Amino acid sequence: MKTVIFLAIVLVSGAIAGTIHGMTNLVMVEPYLDEAIGIENQNLFASGEEEDTPQFWVEYNSYRDWQKGGQVLAGAILGTSVGALFGIVYALSRHALPGKNDLRKTLVLAGIMWLTIYLIPFLKYPANPPTVGDGETVVLRAVLYLSFIAISGFGAVGLYQLYKRLKQNTKVLAFVGYAVFIGIVFALMPPNPDEVTAPMDLVDGFRAMSAVAVSVFWVSVAVVLGSLWHKFRPDSEITLAKNQ
Amino acid sequence: MTFYVILLSYPTEITVSKSKVPIFAIALLAIIFAVGLFVVGYDQGHIFSVVLGEQAYEDLYIHELTHDMRHAAGFPCH
Repeated sequence: MKTVIFLAIVLVSGAIAGTIHGMTNLVMVEPYLDEAIGIENQNLFASGEEEDTPQFWVEYNSYRDWQKGGQVLAGAILGTSVGALFGIVYALSRHALPGKNDLRKTLVLAGIMWLTIYLIPFLKYPANPPTVGDGETVVLRAVLYLSFIAISGFGAVGLYQLYKRLKQNTKVLAFVGYAVFIGIVFALMPPNPDEVTAPMDLVDGFRAMSAVAVSVFWVSVAVVLGSLWHKFRPDSEITLAKNQ
Repeated sequence: MTFYVILLSYPTEITVSKSKVPIFAIALLAIIFAVGLFVVGYDQGHIFSVVLGEQAYEDLYIHELTHDMRHAAGFPCH
């Protein structure tokens, strides 16, 4: 394994995909965030916590610019982070993944990881816009979300171990086993403790655009890593030319 | 675990594909994964508190910087 090349293509692919994710969010998710924060502001004015003054809007616009600008940088950081996990799993499982080339293999793996560590946890604990969520419960919600992701991810690793050990005509049992396992976990994990008080069309629209943007990330990281792996072949060390 | 694949590319080339993944590389990527996830998903002033002390929990620089991505990526924010 060419370690430096391996690390470089993994980190670059994650950063590129994360930047694409951040830019997608700016276009697709940001309007919902602005609308939700607008509701938060109206609630602050109504409760008397803030006053609707020019000074308020100067400060508001200042930190909203910081937050919006941070979207792309945070996307690059998160993308590099998740891309690092993707690279680890790909390097360890590449030989077992179906597909004739690296691009197909990375797309298959991205599909599996998107399903197990994003979509299934999302269905249990969907994303929420600002205005939804009590600050008092944020630690509990963070623990629940991360726990479900970890349980589902390790469940998928268990599925793979079982899949390897089963005979060809019984391999479907591994998928059934994962489905039963994650179904039980899904039912047993506590629900999000916070009530959704924001308009549901706003919440539903936000969740849909959020899911699309995260899915764009997973497709992007698969395409970039698969292409870079194919081009640089970090797993290929020795090529000997033989005279005829 | 080491996997060796020997491809005989008839008639002039032998390519040996060795796909052992160094533990060092795995460990480094795992650290990057954990740190990046914490920064974007969970920091509430913890990182800057190393240099700014308690004030960092009021300023929430990283929280504000990652605020929109935190919501959009599904992390609980506030």
